[in-house]
Amino acid sequence: MTLSCTSVVVRHGARTVLAGVDVSLRPGELVLLAGRNGAGKSTLLRVLLGAQRPDQGEVALDAQPIGTFEATHRARRIAFVPQAAENPFEFTGRELVAMARHAHRGNFEKETERDRGAIACSLEVVDALSFCDRPVTTLSGGELRRIAIARALATEAPLMLLDEPLTNLDLEHAVSVAALLRLLADQGRGLLVAAHDLNLLAPVAHRCVLLHEGKVFADGPPEQVLRDEAIERVFSVRSSTPQGMFPREFRRLDKKG
Amino acid sequence: MTSRRAPMPLLSAMAATLLLAAIAHLSWAPSGPGFSAVLAALFGDGDALDRQIVLQLRLPRLLVAVFGGASLGLAGTVMQASFRNPLASPDVVGTAAGSAFGGAVAIAAGYAASSVFAAPVAALFSAVLVTTLVFAFAGTGPRFSVAGLLLAGVALNTLVGALTTFVVTFTVDNYSASSSVLFWLMGGLDAQDWSKAAITLGGFCAFGLPLAVRSRQLDLLTLSEESAWSLGLDVVNARRWLLWFACGLTAATVANTGGITFLGLVVPHLARLLVGPAHRVLLPASALLGAVVLLLADLLCRGLPIANLRLGVVTSLLGAPYFLYLLARHRRGEAMR
Repeated sequence: MTLSCTSVVVRHGARTVLAGVDVSLRPGELVLLAGRNGAGKSTLLRVLLGAQRPDQGEVALDAQPIGTFEATHRARRIAFVPQAAENPFEFTGRELVAMARHAHRGNFEKETERDRGAIACSLEVVDALSFCDRPVTTLSGGELRRIAIARALATEAPLMLLDEPLTNLDLEHAVSVAALLRLLADQGRGLLVAAHDLNLLAPVAHRCVLLHEGKVFADGPPEQVLRDEAIERVFSVRSSTPQGMFPREFRRLDKKG
Repeated sequence: MTSRRAPMPLLSAMAATLLLAAIAHLSWAPSGPGFSAVLAALFGDGDALDRQIVLQLRLPRLLVAVFGGASLGLAGTVMQASFRNPLASPDVVGTAAGSAFGGAVAIAAGYAASSVFAAPVAALFSAVLVTTLVFAFAGTGPRFSVAGLLLAGVALNTLVGALTTFVVTFTVDNYSASSSVLFWLMGGLDAQDWSKAAITLGGFCAFGLPLAVRSRQLDLLTLSEESAWSLGLDVVNARRWLLWFACGLTAATVANTGGITFLGLVVPHLARLLVGPAHRVLLPASALLGAVVLLLADLLCRGLPIANLRLGVVTSLLGAPYFLYLLARHRRGEAMR
């Protein structure tokens, strides 16, 4: 199963957000999607999810255009982890995760043993069993992120798109979520992770896609993609750590020199 | 923080409260038959005049109150989920004002006097029109904004309110027409009959009962648009259908009762406080509580020794302070239930 987009162009009014992007994702790989703020990472995730139609180009899952999938069929193949805590009401974590089973159930069908198993298993994998029966309004940022990941897991989709899964997490939680993402990839899921924290994610990623000015600047193993020249061009910072080593130390680039 | 209780005992308690409120509503009035006479009339015995009062006046009024309150409670719940905003309701979005405008036109023009369907159909038509307009201004897909939606609601509420006032001024020369429109606009359950009860019941069955199989869609709509989409929901389509149901519920009620404000806003909050936000339980709870609240408000309206007290005034006086309390809690950073 391969999710891929070819020559994707997206414009917001006069601004071109994506100017011809090719990206692919397969089960078993953890792909880091890096780039500056506004580089089009979130837009690319929306396009890959089929939630936004690109102005040009195509998105396909196993060569079938994503727009031709029935909504529930697509949902059983591609899962999504949003960036922000997102619910104004006091659902419990377990109730939010249970929503993932929508695509597996008809409107009249009750929750089956298989549904309950998938929900409990996902909560266990992200280590959320201790707090999943509390209202989400009482949970911390790290706990909410685990619930969001558990919901994506409970869809049993082989591919997952994640938008900034480490943002607003303290170091302990960020490190453990990064390790969890690698574990999921090792178990056979394909993860595309849009993120800023190169130091935490590059060491666990199999591949890194660097977006710059609406195009794929580089695509390959993290230690090759995140070389000094690329980091200077894309992020305007200089690294003082030897090439290919993580964690890297960054200094702001002096524009004059 | 709340612990989630088992839903069935709570729903049963609500149903029992509704039954008690209905008995009180049937048998308690400033004049006319009391409890035993009502009971006799219901079983076909008793005084002929009492039977007339109970079967032709009080029973239709009870049914309009029960199914109207249930409809408004459901409409509010649907709108709050669809807009992912606990402050949305038929009043805020403009659906209620749209219904009131349509109904006012039908009554002022005299159509309502010749056909019982005139006011509900006109109300439905203008409710859908106003809600669609508000929705169009709020944008769709990635450009959808809840703030834009609520602001468009404010603007169209004002516009439609002005148009309704304009319609009323046309009837000023005709005293009986203008007073009937005004009294209707202020909201009340007087002058109900079996045809109106049937329309309210019909609205509830046509637009309320289908929600039962859409409770999971409503749950998903409370998530962000991408999340709901990724879990297999066609967000735009689902939201459109659900809003049409909310329009139908509101119009079928408002056409018979006039402006009953705040019920659709407050009842879902009350229900969420008791049974939590999952719609499988929240929908029946909102319907039951909506019916109970409207019955109690109508009882209060009849019981207070104030001449011509209107039901819309009572629900506003009860609902607005509760709403302000919710806002104050919201500002203190607590979750909106």
